[in-house]
Amino acid sequence: MNQATPFNLCNRVLHAVNVGTVVLDDNCNIVIWNQWMERNSSILAQDAMGKKLIDLFPELNTDRLQNAIQSALTSRLPSLLSQTLNKSPFPLFATPKDARDGQRMQQAIQVIPITAHNAPCHCLIQVTDVSMAVNRETILRQQAVELRSKTYADGLTGIPNRRHFDEHAENVLRLAKRNCTPLSLIMIDIDFFKHFNDRYGHLTGDQCLIDIAQAIWKIPGRPLDLVARWGGEEFIALLPDTPLEGAKKIAEDMLAAVNKLGISHSMSLTADHVSISLGVATCVSAKRANHLNDIVRVADMALYEAKKSGRMRVACRTIDLDAAN
Amino acid sequence: MLELTELQHDALVEIFNMGVGNAASAMSSIVNEEVTMSVPTITFQSRAEAASILGNKESRRICGISQHYQGAFNTDAILMFPEEKSLEIVRLMVGDSVSMEELTEMEQEAMSEIGNIILNACVGILANIFNHELEGSLPSYLVGSSSEILGAEEKNSQDTVLMLHIDFALESHQIHGYVAFLLDMTAMQDLQQHIDQYLSGLT
Repeated sequence: MNQATPFNLCNRVLHAVNVGTVVLDDNCNIVIWNQWMERNSSILAQDAMGKKLIDLFPELNTDRLQNAIQSALTSRLPSLLSQTLNKSPFPLFATPKDARDGQRMQQAIQVIPITAHNAPCHCLIQVTDVSMAVNRETILRQQAVELRSKTYADGLTGIPNRRHFDEHAENVLRLAKRNCTPLSLIMIDIDFFKHFNDRYGHLTGDQCLIDIAQAIWKIPGRPLDLVARWGGEEFIALLPDTPLEGAKKIAEDMLAAVNKLGISHSMSLTADHVSISLGVATCVSAKRANHLNDIVRVADMALYEAKKSGRMRVACRTIDLDAAN
Repeated sequence: MLELTELQHDALVEIFNMGVGNAASAMSSIVNEEVTMSVPTITFQSRAEAASILGNKESRRICGISQHYQGAFNTDAILMFPEEKSLEIVRLMVGDSVSMEELTEMEQEAMSEIGNIILNACVGILANIFNHELEGSLPSYLVGSSSEILGAEEKNSQDTVLMLHIDFALESHQIHGYVAFLLDMTAMQDLQQHIDQYLSGLT
């Protein structure tokens, strides 16, 4: 029986390893494309060989991977591209279902120079599937969030408290600045709440706060939206990536939801039931907003307008900090 | 220990500043936010001295990213931050709000990438000006006391370390860290020779 030659053996090992393996020559042409790559990219080796990576995947024309390849080929320095800082650069899919859903495999990538005596430098790109580790951490984080949420809930109404809001707002503002997206904020105040407490007592007042909080807090439904108790009879809603029209619609839905509760309020000068006033502020481009207080202040002014013009209504203001500066 | 003249020191500081400047722009394009980095000073010290700068308290944990380089001179290059600062850097870069006590596996990998960018940038610029290749290994992630990471308790504790002080700024956060090049006697001689050649070419 014939012995496998070392070359044949290496070749078979290369195709058997459970890691994506691509080798580029000194002109960045693909010279090795293993079976793992064939399987997960649906591109056969015969179709990949001799081509450039960006011809196969035009989207890979990003600085980081191209620089890593260059630095391997010209300076012989290896690079690591982590999944966390580079979200799934290659369009690889672990299963046909993932491909249909557009669910990319989570990837860690290593770009390594391969030098051989008397031969031009080649570049090895290794792609590892880190989906399992990412999923494990996602679960861990969800549990941490859940634990933390217990210290982040308002004791009376059960919705997020001021502390939760402040920490969440800091991140949301950073993302809005980073992505230059609009950011909206709604201040919500219960009309004549002091009169309500005087007339019906504080226990009924507490129940009224709970009912209103429960009625409004799920109205903005996206994961990064947050409605919190701001203090006393005031609530606040933070709506990232939301232009004025969208925020106004949410404010009007909240107004309607509270009206629908129909909690009797004989001492209200606005209606025969408990109502709210809402001030909406939209920061057109949050790029220059240094602090959330800039936006809170404008929402407060809008709320004041809503109250001055008769309560149980929504007033809106926009801020363009770029223009203001 | 290598004593640098003021001129030599300034020339090397300038070179490393070009290096970390490249690293900062690479990191800015990853996070789409301004990242700045500078090297205010460099020093040659023994491993034991370098370890004591990073923290005399044994309890202080340091996070290090290490890569081995060989060619013009052989060295282990280690980027080091106090562990709490490495948490801060990764979370600023990733923009994540949930913070655990320690870096998670994925965050360690991200930190390794950050180290890889900074170390390759520093070494790349050296290879460039020395006109001599330096090949590198992939980064490994280390956590421990400064003595453990620098190997200052072993028999080579008097070996030389070239220490770069690095100031790192992202989104109004200022973080101070270090890059250490561990050099044995031969490496030290090779490095000195390359520095001399480079500096004599300047004047």
